[in-house]
Amino acid sequence: MDLLEKIRILADAAKYDVSCSSSGSDRENKNGGIGNAAFYGICHSWSEDGRCISLLKILFTNICIYDCSYCVNRCSNDVERAIFTPDELADITINFYRRNYIEGLFLSSAVYKSPDYTMELLIKTVKKLREEYNFNGYIHLKAIPGADVNLIRLAGLYADRMSVNIELPSEKSLKLLAPQKTKESIIKPMSFIHSQLLEKSESKKLMRHTDKFVPAGQTTQLIIGATPESDRTILKLSENLYKYYDLKRVYYSAYIPVFNGNNLLGVSSPPLLREHRLYQADWLLRYYNFKADELLTEEEPNFDVSLDPKINWAMKNLNLFPVEVNTADYNMLLRVPGIGLRTAKRIVKARKAANLNYDSLKKLGVVLKRAKYFITCNGKYYGECEMEKDKIKNKLTTNKNRILDGQLSIFDINNKFKNLPIIV
Amino acid sequence: MINYIFDGTFDGLMTVVYESYYSHQHPNDIFSEVNHQINFLGHGVFVATDIDKSDKVQNAITTKISKEALRNIYYVYLSELESSYMLIYKYVRLGFKIGKKIDYFIQNDVVHEVTKLSQRVKHEAYKMIELIRFKEVKKGLFIAKIHPDYNVLPIIMPHFAERFQDQYFIIHDEKRNLSAVYDKKAWIIIDMPLENISNMKDTEDYEILWKMYHKSISIEERKNLRLQRQHMPKKYWDMLTEKQ
Repeated sequence: MDLLEKIRILADAAKYDVSCSSSGSDRENKNGGIGNAAFYGICHSWSEDGRCISLLKILFTNICIYDCSYCVNRCSNDVERAIFTPDELADITINFYRRNYIEGLFLSSAVYKSPDYTMELLIKTVKKLREEYNFNGYIHLKAIPGADVNLIRLAGLYADRMSVNIELPSEKSLKLLAPQKTKESIIKPMSFIHSQLLEKSESKKLMRHTDKFVPAGQTTQLIIGATPESDRTILKLSENLYKYYDLKRVYYSAYIPVFNGNNLLGVSSPPLLREHRLYQADWLLRYYNFKADELLTEEEPNFDVSLDPKINWAMKNLNLFPVEVNTADYNMLLRVPGIGLRTAKRIVKARKAANLNYDSLKKLGVVLKRAKYFITCNGKYYGECEMEKDKIKNKLTTNKNRILDGQLSIFDINNKFKNLPIIV
Repeated sequence: MINYIFDGTFDGLMTVVYESYYSHQHPNDIFSEVNHQINFLGHGVFVATDIDKSDKVQNAITTKISKEALRNIYYVYLSELESSYMLIYKYVRLGFKIGKKIDYFIQNDVVHEVTKLSQRVKHEAYKMIELIRFKEVKKGLFIAKIHPDYNVLPIIMPHFAERFQDQYFIIHDEKRNLSAVYDKKAWIIIDMPLENISNMKDTEDYEILWKMYHKSISIEERKNLRLQRQHMPKKYWDMLTEKQ
């Protein structure tokens, strides 16, 4: 089989993996080698689905011994199969990198022969890149569930980031859809990587040079909408992963029906809007100091898809608003819909120099369309209605495109509401 | 109030700032001779570029205002907009008056304009870092062609020189006929047309692989061409292998 065919099959097989960012590593080029990781991450292209292409995201092979029912590569599925050699993959990576197509490699794989055997193939590839080609660009490796921890440690010395996919948000769902994977086989490598990271950061204090172990940390991915977990369950899970395993990111992937047989039940189109809301909420956890419990309650465990989570929270807490932009503290500014991280910082800076008036807010980047219902400026309220939940909601949702923009804008509104959120 | 004319270089512009300060002559306007030779030569003072004076001004900006201010000024200069020269002058004046706090004055029109324009230049430089595509025209020699709105070559070269330490490469700005050349040690920007080299073609093997990859990684069910265009503006598509 030629390389073109292999790329066609193995890129296609990898496309449902989402964690494809290239950030968080400051690996520097050395000794006239090739590659230099950019800490902030760089995207080089965007595919037709609008998602960024930063890394050569590809499977080593899609020949799998497992039979997970949500997965397109499960062994019982009738698809074309292919496998690379470490040489081929290293060569493509370097040549794509030299042409500035990519920032590096995101290598994952189906479980070929055994978890250990697969892990060894991945290690062979990245070892070649680092040691033979002197490649210092970004490498993200998937830890294969069930692989020996010594192999995972070795892989971590070559990679910038590693990830173990949780796949399904509860043990029950895992048992149902991925009976050969256990919660244990996922949590074990995750906690192992975490403990290695802690160990390295300890020894860094004592020694000047320690080998880098996944400097960009670890991430994971969950599939949304294939199983009945609520948004709240998912968000609480993420919160705990950030807290206890110090994960850099949790990615959410709307379940895309890849099944042509039975039990995945009436899922007809991917719950993209629900995925979008979860990403928004995830940002609120990581950067805006929100707690999952503030965003979703047991009584209302799912997001209102018509409003973003921040507005949703503000609506439920109207008693805290409006806030005066000239005096509110930074943390409260952050909670105003329409004011983001950068804008909040700018406001704090700018009001040191002069009192802010309403016109200048726009200059600072405040999205007044949303913010005006929640702020006062020099004591004056600019929302064109009374501060009541229904009235504000009405105003905010008349301009639907504004609120429902992003990933979803090409789907018509009706379609969105018919299919979302999909709770099976 | 007089018109100053300089040679169009950054050092030239900084020399204008120096002269205007030391002669206590506020500029009415500042022109680059590259653009305004005929119209204005008779009505203005030509300032010859002086590296020492330029260095003095740049040092003063760094110490009295901030390093960031100097970077902003340089980026605004690279926008090549005629109006940018006076804008820079006003910004420097304001900066010398209020010092490093200048960036708090976001509501001030001059500061706002400088921030905005510098952001735009920075943004395009970043787009180039993302979207430049090299071709290997000869074994070991890589060439990329670009046509940015702003003169971003000096901003992006350090980035590529760092990561491609072991390859010879040239980035050619077709719009300005400038070539940035890296020889595995250092880079320079020279006035050089690329005709003889640019006729050569990449072996194309990897281009075909890349196009296949690009097509294959996309998820049909999530198709969103508008989002793609938002990140990859159409005006750059002719540079992009995957869009040809």
